[in-house]
Amino acid sequence: MNTPQIVEAVLFASDAPLTPSEIARADERLDEDQVEEALQMLKAEYEDAQRAFHLTEIAEGYQILTRPEFAPYLERFDNVPRANRLSGPSLETLAIIAYRQPIGRIEIEYIRGVNSSGVIRTLQDRSLIDIVGRGDGLGRPLLYGTTQHFQEHFGFASLDDLPRPDELPIILKDRMPLQESEGDLDEEGTPAMSDLGENPAEEQPDNSVNESAKDVVL
Amino acid sequence: MDLRFAEGAIVRDDFFLVETERFQGPLDLLLHLIRTQDIDVFDIPVARITDQFLKAIEGLGAEDLDSAGEFLETAATLIRIKAQMLLPREGDDEDEDPRAELVRRLLEYEQIREISQRMRASEADRGRRFSKGFIPARPKLLHQEMPLETTWADVLSAALAVEMPTLRQGLHRVTTRTISMQEKVVLILDRLQGQSGIEFSRLLKGFGDTMHGVMTFLASLELTRRRVLFLRQSEPFSELWLYRREEDEDGGSTDVGVIEVDS
Repeated sequence: MNTPQIVEAVLFASDAPLTPSEIARADERLDEDQVEEALQMLKAEYEDAQRAFHLTEIAEGYQILTRPEFAPYLERFDNVPRANRLSGPSLETLAIIAYRQPIGRIEIEYIRGVNSSGVIRTLQDRSLIDIVGRGDGLGRPLLYGTTQHFQEHFGFASLDDLPRPDELPIILKDRMPLQESEGDLDEEGTPAMSDLGENPAEEQPDNSVNESAKDVVL
Repeated sequence: MDLRFAEGAIVRDDFFLVETERFQGPLDLLLHLIRTQDIDVFDIPVARITDQFLKAIEGLGAEDLDSAGEFLETAATLIRIKAQMLLPREGDDEDEDPRAELVRRLLEYEQIREISQRMRASEADRGRRFSKGFIPARPKLLHQEMPLETTWADVLSAALAVEMPTLRQGLHRVTTRTISMQEKVVLILDRLQGQSGIEFSRLLKGFGDTMHGVMTFLASLELTRRRVLFLRQSEPFSELWLYRREEDEDGGSTDVGVIEVDS
């Protein structure tokens, strides 16, 4: 058994992308470099032999996928479950998260100009995004990032494959983080302050009055 | 918030009058107004765009306050910018154009939309390449090969034999609680008189109805809340113990008479 054959067997049996290190687990004598080499060989071999499938780099791994030109034939099997296409709002939200991850809901909503909690939930349910941490801001907001499944869904080999529309003037990564003074953060802002909102003297340094007032309420 | 303007119907007297549902949000609408009129984003005629924007959201239903609010917020921003543009600005070099932040948001949003379109294309591309397991395995045909031994007459007679269930008529009586919580409070305190703790199950001895258990439990919760006793359970589903609270120094009286139970 030579290395390319072993690699080919593993890829053939898998229905999800595999990384070289995962493939190398097939045999103790294999290391990642050998697998990588075998992968390139197989790739060229399929190409030369005009097979109906490619060895495709996808989601940071490799997977055997049929070539797009055969889609019409395969699509005739209409009992086949098809991946649902994402809606416009989902796609828009996903694009923001993909470029700006890790990013919180408030910032997503500021960029889109609309409430996005439902869309975020849907994307999470579909495993396209996940919670990747918590921000430093008020209430330690949840931060979202894209998943491996996201790359699989769009056929990206890695996040570097995201489209880069350089002709547009603002590169998203470079955008300054939201300033708290922009007022759009007040939505979930400071409940303590709004409780005291009736008191016009709240801005004054004399906090002791407010402190004791709060104690009474509690 | 005043939503009176939203009651008016959409007046289609201009090409940019649009149904807001067609747009994913206020930025989408704003961008549409700007792009369809070939306006330079960096020099937006705020007065004109504000008028058009307000007109476009005239038909916005008050029933969807969430999205109405989003459009209104942007409308307010536009009006604020319009006002700022009218005011004389001091030290032009220092002050930022009041439109700057809006322009930045619009461009950013436009870029997101552009990226979404490309991602849509990638998604379609990926959809044309299939992995193993795409075509499901052939279903087992065992049940089709077996001849049917029942006849249609059998099926029909079986169907006729089924009795239609008659709906139960009658009134349901709702009875008042016959066991009072006060009663159980007295019981607990009474039983804790001579000892510091007692098992919950022991309190139920001699009472059959589950309602007794419920009321005893509520009574013990009430007493816990009043800091007369505390509950302890070593692990889930194990015996629940009631203990008398010993510290009385904070004035908490354990006199039964003081305890008023709402029922």
